[in-house]
Amino acid sequence: MNLIDRYVAEVGKHLLLVKGRKDIENELRSTLEDMLEERAQAAGKPADETMQMEMLKEYGEPHKVAETYNPNPYLIGPRIFPFFMFILKIVVAAVTLGLTIATGIQIMSASPMTAIDLLSTIGKGLLNIVSACIAAFGNLALVFALIERYAPASEFKMDEGKEWDPASLKKEPEPDDVKIWEPMLAIVFTFIALSIFNFNPQLIGIYYLDGNEWHVLPLLSEAFFRWLPLMNIAWVAEIVLNGMLLRSGKWTAGTRLLSIGTKLFQIFILAMLISGPSILAFTPASLTTGGIDDPEAVNILMLLAGKGMKFILGIAIFGSVVEIIKSVYKMMTQKL
Amino acid sequence: MANTESLENVVLELRRGVIVLAALSQLGSPEYGYSLLKKLADLGLEVDQGTLYPLLRRLETQGLLESVWKLEEARPRRYYVISAEGKKLLPKMKKEWAGIVSVMDKMLS
Repeated sequence: MNLIDRYVAEVGKHLLLVKGRKDIENELRSTLEDMLEERAQAAGKPADETMQMEMLKEYGEPHKVAETYNPNPYLIGPRIFPFFMFILKIVVAAVTLGLTIATGIQIMSASPMTAIDLLSTIGKGLLNIVSACIAAFGNLALVFALIERYAPASEFKMDEGKEWDPASLKKEPEPDDVKIWEPMLAIVFTFIALSIFNFNPQLIGIYYLDGNEWHVLPLLSEAFFRWLPLMNIAWVAEIVLNGMLLRSGKWTAGTRLLSIGTKLFQIFILAMLISGPSILAFTPASLTTGGIDDPEAVNILMLLAGKGMKFILGIAIFGSVVEIIKSVYKMMTQKL
Repeated sequence: MANTESLENVVLELRRGVIVLAALSQLGSPEYGYSLLKKLADLGLEVDQGTLYPLLRRLETQGLLESVWKLEEARPRRYYVISAEGKKLLPKMKKEWAGIVSVMDKMLS
């Protein structure tokens, strides 16, 4: 195999996905032989390897020569890339939502479960979501790469028949617009809260290691769980509200009213929890069993836990009040 | 240095714009790639191989050229010639070119 053959073969390696590769190789060989012959005639001596070397160096690196024959070097070109991104977003959102619900159902149906089981189920759920999203991305990229390769531009035009309308340009985000991930996250976390508080309440506690064994000290008392039916109503209302936001994509007077109603209801429950008997399940005796021997430390811990819980509930009320004020303000300033 | 590079790029762009018309105008009789390259160079238009060969393939795909392999001096060569479609288009392209030249002459005089 002479230098020209080796050069042509090297160019061909970079043309694997280009139609008419053999034709290009033959034409290139023929051109190079013509060029070499001309050089030999000009030099007045037969072509030798040095002459070939000089000529090939001038002709250029094989991959650069191959590039000139590849008018569309994209895996997924600009013609179909926006459509690819559009489908990818839908697929990733659907896979994430579907697998999150599946993990939630798994947690509910495995009641009662230990903290380790819960963590393991959530961990496996997250891994499933990540691997499913990667697989979906790969499969979609493969399908679009095949479309890019085998569907000629003349047969696969994206909206090219339609007349473009400048009015279709995206408007600036309005203050009433909802970012899609916010209601999605809210639904996922509310769903998880519903699952844990209703089906695996034993998981809510303080975990400590005694020797080689993990123990759990229940955190919430009967006084808390007495309000669970009302909390469930608030959580379901929250899921309904976020579902509506997800569907409409923007805040309306109706969704703002529902949000205000839900927040008022949550404030009522939180106020009842603050004013009623302690919602903390642990007592000085249970703390001593947990390994805290010093009675003074137990008293301080009890005091801090009681005050801390009330502080957290107070902050939650404050947050809800702020949300209500924001909603009322936006309702008043909302464009009609 | 930057000015020289800019000038080279502009000249390259200008030439690229006329290669299609130049190639079609010279392919009334069959030519293989290298002979067309030399013919254009003899007439004063230096074209890079990396530009001309892919362009000839593209024009053939568009139906403006036809090609055929011939065995000459024990070497296969691909001959290109303007197609019927190309012949129809060429006068229109020439007219367009004359218009551009006339406009640019006015602008630059």
